[in-house]
Amino acid sequence: MGTFKMYLEFSRKSFQRAAAYRFDVWTRIVGNVLFLFMWGFIWYGLYHGKSSVEGVSFQAMLGYILVSQALQGIHGAGTPLWEIQERVRTGDIAMEMLRPYDYTTRMLFSDFGGIAFYFITAIVPLYTVLFLVLNPVVPTSLVQLGLFVVSVILGYFIRYCIELTFGLFTFWLVETGGVEDIFYFSISLFSGSVIPLWFFPGWLEQVARYLPFQAIFFIPNSIFVGQLTGPAIWYAFMNQVIWLLVCYLILRLVWNRASMKIVIQGG
Amino acid sequence: MSLIEVNHLYKEFKIARRQEGLGGALRSLFHREYSTRMAVQDISFAVGRGEMVGYIGPNGAGKSTTIKMLTGILVPTSGEVRVNGLVPFQERQKNARQIGVVFGQRTQLWWDLPAIESFELLKQVFQIPDARYRQNMATFSDILGLEEFLDTPVRQLSLGQRMRADIAASLLHDPVILFLDEPTIGLDVLAKERMRKFIREINRERGVTVILTTHDMNDIEKLCRRMILIDNGRVMYDGELARIKEMFGKERVLIVDLEGEVNGFSIAGAEVIKQEGNRKWLRFNREAVTASQLINHISEHYEIRDLTIKDPEIEVMIRHIYEKGIGSYEGACL
Ligand SMILES: Nc1ncnc2c1ncn2[C@@H]1O[C@H](COP(=O)(O)OP(=O)(O)O)[C@@H](O)[C@H]1O
Ligand SMILES: [Mg+2]
Repeated sequence: MGTFKMYLEFSRKSFQRAAAYRFDVWTRIVGNVLFLFMWGFIWYGLYHGKSSVEGVSFQAMLGYILVSQALQGIHGAGTPLWEIQERVRTGDIAMEMLRPYDYTTRMLFSDFGGIAFYFITAIVPLYTVLFLVLNPVVPTSLVQLGLFVVSVILGYFIRYCIELTFGLFTFWLVETGGVEDIFYFSISLFSGSVIPLWFFPGWLEQVARYLPFQAIFFIPNSIFVGQLTGPAIWYAFMNQVIWLLVCYLILRLVWNRASMKIVIQGG
Repeated sequence: MSLIEVNHLYKEFKIARRQEGLGGALRSLFHREYSTRMAVQDISFAVGRGEMVGYIGPNGAGKSTTIKMLTGILVPTSGEVRVNGLVPFQERQKNARQIGVVFGQRTQLWWDLPAIESFELLKQVFQIPDARYRQNMATFSDILGLEEFLDTPVRQLSLGQRMRADIAASLLHDPVILFLDEPTIGLDVLAKERMRKFIREINRERGVTVILTTHDMNDIEKLCRRMILIDNGRVMYDGELARIKEMFGKERVLIVDLEGEVNGFSIAGAEVIKQEGNRKWLRFNREAVTASQLINHISEHYEIRDLTIKDPEIEVMIRHIYEKGIGSYEGACL
């Protein structure tokens, strides 16, 4: 119990820190909305007055990009990749090893704090208005909404594990720009965050389906707009749970190797 | 049993050798060449409860490496370390609860938040009881004057303020041992003085065992009875500061400014230990030659513009030990 309270204190501190950098939140939300409108217009153009493409209505597509942008906003509120790179670069990572807690867990709770602030002050008010005004497809039952939320949470943990793992690669590389690029490229393309997998060319869809990234945005988004229903949802959950386990194990493995490197080679 | 025991400690770092050019970069992807560097070699010492020890050495001597092994964030290549019965790297978290650590060049505070927030976080991290937390905060604020900046974001603090906050942070959980790695580095004279006063006080009043590294001799002179002198990863001297002073007690340093062109300056009965243009530092043993004899000697050959006689500074003594070793000195002088 005491341990949980300790980790929660990290969430509180990150929340406070996010509040101290309010301006950051506003600039980010502006960027987020600009992208939303950009994708909105692109899809509007692609639909070209057709009521549906491959069985997906424009209103459903609109729901997809709205929920996707909202989720991306939430995921982007924390910055574990950047933070870990900084800590490795400056050597401050050693200070974290002098504390009676698990570093990856503490980072997770710090991430919660930043997200909570962004969620409450930006995402909720903004997207409530957008959903009301644009009238896209949304979940039609509480069950669907509940399944969506579960899927979002699983997706969040998967992204967290992947992002932290990528961040830890800093230990073995001098130049880390490449790692960041690969991470951001993979997550924007393969996760289905901007283009749903059902519009991918066949071969690319096959590739994407065997990667963990689709479990981050594509699955929850599809549940949200009702493209994923019935037993397919359970398969999707299984997919997410398996990827979460795999990514978590990889994260633990990489973290163990990284901490070995700190204590043997001095960082 | 001593509180801290270090036996035949070694630390060797492996350094990847950079290879030239594009070909080299490609080759190094598959095959890396390493060179090794002994940062600490065969260091042994023991520290008792309540002691305050100065761990001294020039840059790169191996001070921080030793401290890191004592705190558990670095694994020794060989040798043994025990801190209050624990092997630090094997029980790092348990060890972390009984030690406080300050690295002068780093901070354990949250950069973007007021200092008080970091203290509150540490209260949770170390699960410090409310009453004890308040008591400690009151004491530290009193001596370190923390109130004046507790509500300021850490990034806006001066270095002196930040160090004060950092050392307070390292003591909140009542550690048995405090490790300070260059706690006064970069501070101005006043800030240094304040820091020293605080360190003295927590050692005396709370019985906290302190190990502090520095390359500032004044720190040692003002703080530690015992010092461990290291160079190139080896212990050069371990003992009382007073003994070193005593050994050099017969020594004096004569500083003379000479007129005109001076070439190949040397004087019988004294050793030139430093020169800057026409200013010469001469060390002599006052039992073998008196100052006036020496001045006479000099004025026979040169014109003296100005002179001063000084006790040798600790810094000079230590440089001497580095150059000649303590053994040679003892033989020659005592
Ligand atoms: N992580 C490391 N990798 C390689 N060499 C290191 C590492 N840390 C320290 N060294 C080397 O070990 C020696 C001792 O360093 P250090 O303990 O930091 O010295 P000090 O603290 O006395 O200035 C130095 O030569 C330094 O370059
Ligand atoms: Mg050092």
